[in-house]
Amino acid sequence: MSMNATQLGHTLGTLLTLAWLLPLAGFAVEIFGGFWGSRKSKLAAYLAVACIGGAFLLSLSALLLWGTSTEWSALKRSHHEAAPVPTESAEHAAPAAGHEAEPAHPKPETGPVYPKYFSGTIYVLAEFRSLRFAIDYYVDSLTLTMFVMVSLIASLIHLFAIGYMSDELTDDHEDHEVHTSHGHLHRPGRFYRFFAFLSLFSFSMLGLVLAGNLFMVFIFWELVGVCSYFLIGFYVERKSASTAANKAFIMNRVGDFGFLIGLMIVLTYFGTFQFAKRDEFDPAKRVTVSRPGLFDMLRDEHGAIKISEQGDTVFLNARENVESDVPGAIPPTKTIPYSLLLTAGLGVFAGCVGKSAQFPLQTWLPDAMEGPTPVSALVHSATMVAAGVYLAGRFYPMFVPEVLLTIAYVGCITLFLAATIAIVATDIKRVLAYSTISQLGYMMLGIGVGGWAAGLFHLITHAFFKSLMFLASGSVIYGCHHVQEMPQMGGLRKKMPITAYTMLVGVIAIAGLAIPGIGAFSGYHSKDAIVATALTYAELNRTHFLLFYVPLVGAGITAFYMFRLWFYTFAGEPRDHHVYDHAHESPWVMTVPLVVLAFFAAFCAWNGEEGKLFKMLSASEPAGVAEGLAVDISGLALPSHEAIHHNHNLAGGYALLIAIIGTATAYLFYGARLFDPADVKKQLAGLHTFLVEKWWFDEIYEVMFVRPAHVVAKWCAAFDRIVFDGFLHFMARLAVLVSKWDRVFDEQVVDGFVNRLADVTFDAGRIFGFLQTGRLRQYVMFIVVGVVGIWVLVQFFAKM
Amino acid sequence: MSDSALLSLIIFLPTIGAIGLMFFNKQSEGLMRTFAHAITLATFALTLLAWSKFEPAKFDAEHPMQMYVKIPWISSWNVNYQLGVDGISMPLVVLTSFISWLAMLASTSVTKQIRGYLILYLILETGMLGVFLALDFFLFYVFWEVMLLPMYFLIGVWGGPRKEYAAIKFFLYTLFGGVLMFIALLMFYFDSAGSSFKKTFDILQLAAIGQGRDPNGVQFSQFVQYTAFVLLFIGFAIKVPVWPFHTWLPDAHVEAPTPISMILAGVLLKMGGYGIIRVAFPICPLGAYWAAHALVILGVISIIYGAFAALAQTDFKRLVAYSSVSHMGYVLLGIAVWKLSEGTLEQNTTFWNMGLNAAMFQMLAHGISSPGMFFMVGVIYDRVHHRDLNQFGGLMGLMPVYGGLAIGIFFAGMGLPGLCGFWGEAWSVVSSWNYSPLYSIIAASGVILTAGYILWAVQRVYLGAEYKGPHAEAITPITEREIFIGGALLLFCIVLGVAPGWMFSQMRASIDLLVKSISSTKGLSEIVKQIEAAKQVSGL
Repeated sequence: MSMNATQLGHTLGTLLTLAWLLPLAGFAVEIFGGFWGSRKSKLAAYLAVACIGGAFLLSLSALLLWGTSTEWSALKRSHHEAAPVPTESAEHAAPAAGHEAEPAHPKPETGPVYPKYFSGTIYVLAEFRSLRFAIDYYVDSLTLTMFVMVSLIASLIHLFAIGYMSDELTDDHEDHEVHTSHGHLHRPGRFYRFFAFLSLFSFSMLGLVLAGNLFMVFIFWELVGVCSYFLIGFYVERKSASTAANKAFIMNRVGDFGFLIGLMIVLTYFGTFQFAKRDEFDPAKRVTVSRPGLFDMLRDEHGAIKISEQGDTVFLNARENVESDVPGAIPPTKTIPYSLLLTAGLGVFAGCVGKSAQFPLQTWLPDAMEGPTPVSALVHSATMVAAGVYLAGRFYPMFVPEVLLTIAYVGCITLFLAATIAIVATDIKRVLAYSTISQLGYMMLGIGVGGWAAGLFHLITHAFFKSLMFLASGSVIYGCHHVQEMPQMGGLRKKMPITAYTMLVGVIAIAGLAIPGIGAFSGYHSKDAIVATALTYAELNRTHFLLFYVPLVGAGITAFYMFRLWFYTFAGEPRDHHVYDHAHESPWVMTVPLVVLAFFAAFCAWNGEEGKLFKMLSASEPAGVAEGLAVDISGLALPSHEAIHHNHNLAGGYALLIAIIGTATAYLFYGARLFDPADVKKQLAGLHTFLVEKWWFDEIYEVMFVRPAHVVAKWCAAFDRIVFDGFLHFMARLAVLVSKWDRVFDEQVVDGFVNRLADVTFDAGRIFGFLQTGRLRQYVMFIVVGVVGIWVLVQFFAKM
Repeated sequence: MSDSALLSLIIFLPTIGAIGLMFFNKQSEGLMRTFAHAITLATFALTLLAWSKFEPAKFDAEHPMQMYVKIPWISSWNVNYQLGVDGISMPLVVLTSFISWLAMLASTSVTKQIRGYLILYLILETGMLGVFLALDFFLFYVFWEVMLLPMYFLIGVWGGPRKEYAAIKFFLYTLFGGVLMFIALLMFYFDSAGSSFKKTFDILQLAAIGQGRDPNGVQFSQFVQYTAFVLLFIGFAIKVPVWPFHTWLPDAHVEAPTPISMILAGVLLKMGGYGIIRVAFPICPLGAYWAAHALVILGVISIIYGAFAALAQTDFKRLVAYSSVSHMGYVLLGIAVWKLSEGTLEQNTTFWNMGLNAAMFQMLAHGISSPGMFFMVGVIYDRVHHRDLNQFGGLMGLMPVYGGLAIGIFFAGMGLPGLCGFWGEAWSVVSSWNYSPLYSIIAASGVILTAGYILWAVQRVYLGAEYKGPHAEAITPITEREIFIGGALLLFCIVLGVAPGWMFSQMRASIDLLVKSISSTKGLSEIVKQIEAAKQVSGL
């Protein structure tokens, strides 16, 4: 191929940007479907399918373009070799590249050398001095894989939803779950609105995957959150749905609070959110500026971090952005305290915990099943909830070993906790929801123990088999007229064979069953990769042996509850004949997606770690992961690929054995019905209640957080009323009181004095009035007396 | 028309309209409404014209203002009629005229004594525009007080059941703040006697004196700056409102008619923030730096306290009012995150720059979303005549368009990316880590509470199966006029949310200039040292 790296980067960026924006355009049209279309029209759905289908084609062509341009070099490398370090010549191979940096694979043959990733800016949001916030794209093999996976699954689910949501195609939809004072609720159908939200979700999810900086991830993180809110609460009239939607959003915000702390630390110490370095042409100054990214600031090309001797400071590969008074002086190296780097990692991971429903924020996901089943398949299993894992993978270079250990333990606890609850759940969708949480736990564990590619591998395989199983459950629910309780099902394989056997493919895939030497479905390979990494990690760090045993046991539980689900639903004799008699297979718009997904669930990971999917993912593996890490300042070691490879067969054997045990147990209880689960339930009544009540998490949170928040809120409101307004009213009363006194003083004292004076004057006047007799002789006498008197007085004073 | 006359026309066109209204026949209410509407629309158009002439990039130390005009007014006291705009005031001026226009459109719910209402409304608009455009502190003060009385009557005459109480509370609070501001004003006037400007009220000159840029070397002393800053801050904080000066706000909002609530939330609160940025910080930089810590704390308390108080409300309008307290807390936080360390005074202001930008943006965003929220409350109140959150429900089904608009606007208030509320909130919080990790973490926890009270309110009002309150028969679909007002506000929520950079580009040069000039204040390093020393002694 003759295309140079710059052009390739531009083209890939443009293709994926279009793929990303297409569903947004769809949303903008579809949301007004109530104005331009009729309630019975499927036009909005066709538009949505066209948009996401177009996005899929664009993503696929981007993938093919990338592959052919790089001659699929990513697929040729064996995973078990250590990743080659870029050489000097490779560094200089693409100096003129406008957008990209860090070529990763020096190739022996001549020709253009392509970098590991392509990155560029789509749109600048704001710039404050040296701080820049932008919508960036970052394209590597992981991005491409995710784009293809998300858009493919989304397209199939859109298609499925045309059938599943068809009862909304009416002017008068009756919602049987809502009881009003006039009986069941009647409302116009909202078919178009459902597809509008699906489109908005697709846009947000693709934006999240495309993101080239952490802040952009946060933006789309929130957007997928709000789409999830709208979709969970799609049946707005149902109290349970709107409450579940609120719960999902608020619990995610708890995680986002941590994410925000991570963002603050990163920006304050690194001065950028951009993932990786890139060179950019500044048209104003006509120079190419190199913008450093987070990963290359923190790590060198071998993936190592520079830590001070005391171990409390990390040196970054960048200079402080200060103007020095001394010309030519070298500004100091940027640093970040180790503890803050750790906190930033934990903060960002807290966001992942919320989004991926990990312990302790797992409780929102089962409630999210209030949404229509296609939503559960797309948003709450295949894509959005996996975004937490995706970010943990994307942000991996920023995690120090302590953070990875936390990730591993959180995943470990989650996978066990959710698996145990799945054993007792009877709602078909809830079993799948807990299974999702559990599998996400596996992915987190995989990333946490240093199996970067293993965790993301499981993300992709899980997306296929879990969306398959959710759609199959949707097909069951649709076929059984909205019955979701498994104890009312049974024997349905005769009524809906396509659903039953595609579901079986998914069940086998997730359970990790395999025929040694011949092959296995996708889930076996990815889970095997995680378990092998965990085993190696536990060997290196002996105190953390649980990180291996728990997922191993979890694999058995997984096989048990998944086969329990399948046997319960499809095998044996029907338990409720009313449900059974009315059950039917779904129309082709629903079964075709099932078949396609079943194909991918079975074969997407073909050949395991030698297969194309795994190699594709590991081409994006951060530097240094392959070599592992010797015990460093944190006291933790990370396994190398070589060591993991060594343990592969052993771990795979263990996992397979345990899965077979789980499957067999499920068969005995629910398939052959040799034992009655009710007996076990009776014997372990306490444990059963504990599991049915989901380990009491909801109740604990209610008491610990929700109610206190409302109490504090009441206090604040009361504080305003009683203290602040009380003070004001007191001041007002004081002012009134003072003015009353003032009045009294005025009326009694001041006025009293004046009145008194007036009275005295008046009285005096009256008294003197008596003297005014009008007789002249009398007046003359007064004058004489007066003159004499004055004279006497004058004499008297003169003598003194 | 010359640029300088344009600003005067913007300010006084509403007054001319108010005078014009006196000549109308008292009975012809429709005509008066149309006339007043035309006046507000024309004022909005004039501000847009001013904006089109405004050159956001052309600000430097020599030209801190555009469309500048300075005419002697009361020469014996050196009071001037002095106006001008920069990147800080221009967006607020446009916001003011925009909200005034929309709120005028929303005034159809006011039916009694129309003429008086319209006259007071237009005088109020003059006062608001004057505050944002005045560059003479005395003139600023005059406009500040001019705005007070019409507001008092608009709440006190056209308000709800407790209107007298709310009006007098608003009046006394603001008057109290005004008196403190007046004391500071006199302090500056008499203290500037020795400067090369003689005794002056000119805000730009006062700022030069405060920052030690006066050619005669006169600078307001540390004592004067500290005292005056506290006085000014309390005066402006009442308006923002900052905890603990906020309790007038819920009452005023609840009692005020819908359009007046929109103006209160959209414009009046912004005057507090604007005053802090335009007057308090530039004239008293030493006092500002000294008090920054307290300001940050008050900002954080406002955010959290306001959100908690909102969570507890059962009155829809009171909830929105408390959300204003919470949202304006981010403004104060962004303004106050000014931290310097010795030796790198000028260089180290990037995060403060970011904080100020975020604060300005938050003011504009809140100026759009909050009137929107009040209008949405008003729409339903006009129909069912109650605001009890526990007696709504199901409005999404009964009034789908209204529900859609309301959810959009409420989500803008919640700070959802892609809508206007996000940027100001997120960036002011992010900028605050550099100032103090602890406060910034507390402020960040506000995102959880905000989601809590907004979503809970949305659930109780718009979602659910059926309407639970009285007057169910009165619920009619939203009218076209209401769609226009709500739609316009939501549209700007989206525009600001999708393209924030456009708004920042209007403000950038002026804010850079502000940060640069304030940070190079003479004697600042002494204050920095003192504060650092005090911190070490107290062990903080």
